[in-house]
Amino acid sequence: MIKRILIVDDSPISIKIMKSCIPKDKDYELFDAADGQIGLEKYKDIKPDLTFMDLTMPVMNGFQALEEIMKLDQRAIVIIVTADVQVKAVAKAHDLGAFSLLKKPPTKESIAAAIKEAADALAKRG
Amino acid sequence: MVRNKNTKEMITAEETDILQEIMNIAFGRAASDLAEYIDIFVILSVPYVKLLHAADLPPYISKEIKDYDKVSVVEQNFWGKFKGNAFLIFPSGTGKKMISLFDGGDEFIESDPIYEMEKETFREVGNILIGACVGKIAELLGDVITYSPPRVVIEKSHRGIVSNSLFDPDNLAIVLRTLFEFNEKNISGFLFIVTSQESFAWLKTALHKFLEQYE
Repeated sequence: MIKRILIVDDSPISIKIMKSCIPKDKDYELFDAADGQIGLEKYKDIKPDLTFMDLTMPVMNGFQALEEIMKLDQRAIVIIVTADVQVKAVAKAHDLGAFSLLKKPPTKESIAAAIKEAADALAKRG
Repeated sequence: MVRNKNTKEMITAEETDILQEIMNIAFGRAASDLAEYIDIFVILSVPYVKLLHAADLPPYISKEIKDYDKVSVVEQNFWGKFKGNAFLIFPSGTGKKMISLFDGGDEFIESDPIYEMEKETFREVGNILIGACVGKIAELLGDVITYSPPRVVIEKSHRGIVSNSLFDPDNLAIVLRTLFEFNEKNISGFLFIVTSQESFAWLKTALHKFLEQYE
């Protein structure tokens, strides 16, 4: 079951958009971080069930943060939310352990579907 | 981000943030388009938005690219409600590295002077990056734009790359800047998109409409 969601993005507008797209009926606890480094620290602190991660960020980019999170927790569910949809970027994100990838700007439908997919995966793990 | 006291009320911090995110999305898509066309991986950086007086635009861009001795530039104008100029700027020597990215580059070398090949390569890359990026910005803001053909200048001093007469010097301009690298060829460059004051009223409304979709 997904309860805690962490959004890692350097853009306050992007965080606002993400929060507005996350369904309100499930009472998710939402957390955010302004770059990969802060995201990594918050991940350790709050242990979210699901993380939405941007790729292009200052200090520590999304690839680096994803790699560090997967080292900490191989079962982490990290969904990349990015405008960088180059084939090589997508492949690299998957190689580093991303659960899935969403194109920016997201929609309510794409976010709801991604959360459901993540929840199903968690349920299967038991 | 907006430092000049006189320009402060022209664009708010929130509008700057929206524009920065839109530029991020648009350049990401442009990079993907280019990577589909030629086999490269474009490393993106966080875009930057700045409001300045048009008279300060040429020295601002010269300062940004000061590490480049000579530059090659692709310039394209665009018109719609979103109106302005785009400059794709590469350091000296990029053209020759870039030619090899294109299929059939070897055949090209046999038949054409290197200068013409470089020009054609820059035109092609500029067309894709500028066209896709500016086009996506316009699309996200509900506009449709047309473009001038790209103009290419090769191996010129970075001073005077942007003309003083581009905009009315008493007016303001918004500059969107992003730095990028082509991973495989150690190529880096800047994209500047400059929009003039006549687009401001429309732009502010369009930025708020973009965000309202999510409220």
